[in-house]
Amino acid sequence: MEKRQVRNNIRKFRFFHNEMTQEQLAEKVGVTRQTIIAIESAKYAPSLELAFRIALVFGVPLEEVFSYTSEDEPA
Amino acid sequence: MSSQLINITVALVSHLLVLVYYLVNLYQMYQEGGLVSSKVFTLWAIVIVAIIFLNIVGNILTYIVLSIVRAIKTGKADEERFIVDERDKLIELKGVRVSYISFSIGVLISMLTFVMGQPPLVMFSLLILSGILAEITGDIAQLHLYRRGV
Repeated sequence: MEKRQVRNNIRKFRFFHNEMTQEQLAEKVGVTRQTIIAIESAKYAPSLELAFRIALVFGVPLEEVFSYTSEDEPA
Repeated sequence: MSSQLINITVALVSHLLVLVYYLVNLYQMYQEGGLVSSKVFTLWAIVIVAIIFLNIVGNILTYIVLSIVRAIKTGKADEERFIVDERDKLIELKGVRVSYISFSIGVLISMLTFVMGQPPLVMFSLLILSGILAEITGDIAQLHLYRRGV
């Protein structure tokens, strides 16, 4: 099975939501800023619940924020 | 640097200090003519109490110092950001697993020394040593996971 990883567009969505900071997003979803940094840099795949909470903050479906792609594919 | 990372670093430093203290005392006992049961068990007790005490005091001091630094930086009390979220818990769990495996190997080695004819005091000394080393490997594993990602 090819190697895939969870990727996201959180940085883009934060920018389009009044340039929300990582700290602000972290407070809204109940995690630390370091966790948001790790998620954005694909060093940590969030739990399903956390992923839903992040998508809820941006008001978009989950699959618009997160994708499960192979390392060769663009995000 | 997150508060959890600082906590783990403080714990690692305190465990290293306890390890140095333990090894120095063991070496002194060896130089004085070998292991004496009363001294070995006293050292055991000191090491275990020291680890517990340093962990508690280290956590409290880290919390106080971080609160003061954050209050100075931001100009307000920021208690609610000292949270332990899912990523912290996952890394802690993986660190505990590494500690457990290290301690199991240490226990096996200490039992082997007894099987090979060494006195029981050697086995007990190695047991506490493997406990300290297990704590240290767990801390290092957590630090590595924070840097590399989970």
